Amino acid sequence: MTDEREPSDDDPESQAVRALLKRSLARDAEDAPDLLPGIQRRLRKRSRGKFFADGWSTANTRTTYLLMGLSTILLVALAYIALGMVELR
Amino acid sequence: MPLLDDTDARLVERLVARDERAFNALVRAYERRVFSLALRMIGNRAEAEDLAQEVFVQVFKAIGTFRGESKLSTWIFRIAINLAKNRGKYLRVRRTDAHDELEALDERGPGQDKRENVARIERPDEMMAGLEVEQVVRRAIQELEPSFRECLVLRDVEDLSYGEIGEITGLPEGTVKSRIHRARAQLKELVERALGAKIP
Repeated sequence: MTDEREPSDDDPESQAVRALLKRSLARDAEDAPDLLPGIQRRLRKRSRGKFFADGWSTANTRTTYLLMGLSTILLVALAYIALGMVELR
Repeated sequence: MPLLDDTDARLVERLVARDERAFNALVRAYERRVFSLALRMIGNRAEAEDLAQEVFVQVFKAIGTFRGESKLSTWIFRIAINLAKNRGKYLRVRRTDAHDELEALDERGPGQDKRENVARIERPDEMMAGLEVEQVVRRAIQELEPSFRECLVLRDVEDLSYGEIGEITGLPEGTVKSRIHRARAQLKELVERALGAKIP
């Protein structure tokens, strides 16, 4: 069902209600909770660990990937040296 | 004309590819708006937080179906409004008092002069009266019909266009305008009756 009267945002009555609403509800957004951890937890649970299952993919920097890469290279180098030493004996 | 700007289009591509960092960025960008919309629709903070989290879970699940025929924000708001409607029905069936928090906050000091002009309470000595008005408005919003409430909140609080509200609610623009008009009138009446004061 529609109203015959064409509503307007500019009439004083509408402006007064809008102003009242904005002022009364302004604090809602200021006090918003941190939703991300709860959302990640839900997705991890519902995807059975497929998403948000580790700390790596959700980290904010690439440092973790760099550290992982360097550690792998170091391990390979150590293994190579160790194998070389066994061969010399 | 494409409705998605380049930034949103790239973000959607990454979301479809299940890029968790992109998803985290999306949550950070929209969590306040989604939470406050949920709170205004449901009227209960704990329920609103739960609902807002569920909105983003649904966004994550359904992003593959997003065709870019509306703005990303409009699409997210549509999910939020639909979930809020369902949650509202569920809560009403359970006879959950959606005003719990409002009632707790309602324990305030002695009543103030209700002849104040409620749209111009700005001075510190009028703080108590301002808090009272705030609670009355919150309560009045919850007393509106849900279909009126969603249009009013999207227009007068979220500042969306009539077209966007139509896309979110699935209503023709004329119906949106009509509902907003009637919601304002209802809200005004409820607030004025509760305060015994006129909104100019």
